[in-house]
Amino acid sequence: MHTEEQTARRDFLTTMGAISAGAVLGVVGPAAGHSPGPKEPEGGGDDAVPRRTLGRTGVKVSALGVGGHHLGDVETVDKAIQFVHEAIDAGLNFFDNCWEYYDGRSEDWLGRAPKGKRDKVFLMTKVCTHGRGADLAMKMLEESLRRLQTDHLDLWQVHGVSFDNDPELAYAKGGVLEALDRAKKQGKARFVGFTGHKSPAVHLRMIKLGYPFDTVHMPLNPFDAGFNSFENQVLPELGKRGIAALGMKSMGGTAAAVKKALFKPEEMLRYAMSLPVAVTIAGMESLDVLRQNLKVARGFKPLTEGEMQALRDRAAPLASDGRFEVYKLSLKFDNPQARIPHDFPLDPEIKEVKEMFRRAEGGSPSKK
Amino acid sequence: MSRQREAADRREFLGLAGRSGAAALVSALAQAAPPETGDAGTDRIPTRPFGKTKEKVSALGIGGYTLGQAPTYEDAERIAHEAIDAGVTFFDNAWDYHDGKGEEWMGKALKGKRDKVFLMTKVCTHGRDRKVAMKQLEDSLRRLQTDHLDLWQIHECVYFNDPDRHFAKGGVVEALDEAKKAGKVRYVGFTGHKDPAIHLDMLSRGYPFDSVQMPLNCFDATYRSFERRVLPEVLKRGIAALGMKSMGGGGEPILLGAVTPEEALRYAMSLPVTVTISGIDTLSVLRQNLAVARGFTPLTEKEMQALRDRCAPLAADGHLELYKSTMKYDGNVGREQHEFPPQKELPL
Repeated sequence: MHTEEQTARRDFLTTMGAISAGAVLGVVGPAAGHSPGPKEPEGGGDDAVPRRTLGRTGVKVSALGVGGHHLGDVETVDKAIQFVHEAIDAGLNFFDNCWEYYDGRSEDWLGRAPKGKRDKVFLMTKVCTHGRGADLAMKMLEESLRRLQTDHLDLWQVHGVSFDNDPELAYAKGGVLEALDRAKKQGKARFVGFTGHKSPAVHLRMIKLGYPFDTVHMPLNPFDAGFNSFENQVLPELGKRGIAALGMKSMGGTAAAVKKALFKPEEMLRYAMSLPVAVTIAGMESLDVLRQNLKVARGFKPLTEGEMQALRDRAAPLASDGRFEVYKLSLKFDNPQARIPHDFPLDPEIKEVKEMFRRAEGGSPSKK
Repeated sequence: MSRQREAADRREFLGLAGRSGAAALVSALAQAAPPETGDAGTDRIPTRPFGKTKEKVSALGIGGYTLGQAPTYEDAERIAHEAIDAGVTFFDNAWDYHDGKGEEWMGKALKGKRDKVFLMTKVCTHGRDRKVAMKQLEDSLRRLQTDHLDLWQIHECVYFNDPDRHFAKGGVVEALDEAKKAGKVRYVGFTGHKDPAIHLDMLSRGYPFDSVQMPLNCFDATYRSFERRVLPEVLKRGIAALGMKSMGGGGEPILLGAVTPEEALRYAMSLPVTVTISGIDTLSVLRQNLAVARGFTPLTEKEMQALRDRCAPLAADGHLELYKSTMKYDGNVGREQHEFPPQKELPL
């Protein structure tokens, strides 16, 4: 899963990244202004990263967001802190994280970074009950706040809604949705939402059961458009309800299409950012990758509908069996920490499970 | 699915079952199956209408893939004959099962009995054109030793671009018309095991299919459900619903002890389907299934709901329906026609 994605990223860097390495060092532009436009490039000709409105919350967030999992992949805590500062200085304010990323390391590192800059960022993390109840969720919330060194989150999302019975478990009496309410009431979370990468039908069920989510987070890329599509099935429902859409996996998760040189990373990112989403959350574990993505995001010009259709058409014949979006398909890409509370069997051969057992035996989270 | 895989799964199921007291299982089943009143108090296999046609077929059908996995031809023949004697009329097959052996064995076994059965096979263009389809039809007729099929279905609609390919100009759907016009097939339909959305897309094109085949079982009831999403649409249109994979394809739920084979088959046959096509490669499996089908009385809605509720927490990740949740069950012949890499190169 992540490890492959990382490898993919590294491959991508060796081919694409070297070009820009060093070129932009320290030359990041002024922090993006809070100009008004809902989602399109702002201040015509400006090369700031645009800000977009986060659904009915009215809050503005940067159209490119920083993924928390990859932040835990940065080589050292110092480099991670440097990375966060550079991202903030470049005008990114949306920071993603999750209670269970690297057993807390990702939150811990992000929490150390924005000292004095907490008010400049829109901070999201996720709660990992995976079907368990509200009390556990509240404990996770306290841990997240402590690691992130803050007294409140801007956004708290239910993580990894994947399985067909997850909506029922979330909506059950004493379920995680009650924790979202409590956290809001206590002022510990301003907004709430949910995430998942598996099935549009599961997302739709979560939405249609009626909880007033502020955000919904999902995979969006040119391949998604041709296979079990969140873009076709979920995105329009969010628009109708004023819920902010958060995009992820713009490169298809493992970046297989980029590795095979079928698509350029900037095509994939531009496609994802051209959709009607508030933010595209990108996994970036080095300054090089950040700078490459900033090249796309600064003064972002969305693709035309014709250009988007051309990308969809190119992806469609490759997309239709799902092999470029394994997170939707293979059980091997399910988070083992999510399978356990569901009593689903684990496959001891897959690396995430091996890694989990290794950690349980006292090893530290592997870096690579 | 990878055919080899399906074969392996099947063998494993039977083998394991054999070691862990399958005999007991089978005999328990035989005893447990109450001689419920089916057709007018007889213990015949009930027959049901084939969609809006005047045709009736047996509620239990014989799957051609698994029949082709019987240890020898003689075993397959015994299964076919005993099934016919018990009142089974529906026989399933496909052009690409075991490189033709599936059809050849069935053709041989049905010699002199062709008029007693409702014979179906499937065309495996996987996106190729109608000429390929018509050539496959001739192969199928020759192997099945008949001049016509009762039902000819488009096999394995499992990729999201399949509907476009099948309905393209010069595509397989045109071959369905041509074959009907030529009197070589009476009815036409399509099959697939992957995603209700693909079935719904096929249906949305407005073609007058006579039948639609899909996985239907107590796990499907809550996971990417054909029962919930496709079955009502099929029935609304007066199309015959054909159920398959009543035991989850490879029998995994049975092996895990999640349901008994009797429960699984009774559930599938209690749905508003024309026939439940069952993979049978030994006489003991045949008899086990016949014990359920003879004088079949459907489960009550309450009993069905109880089974759905029991299965739902196990069903929710798809590990008991791998044909939906992974690419493992997608045949290499079809993958090749889509220019997809073969099974062994998949990242799964």
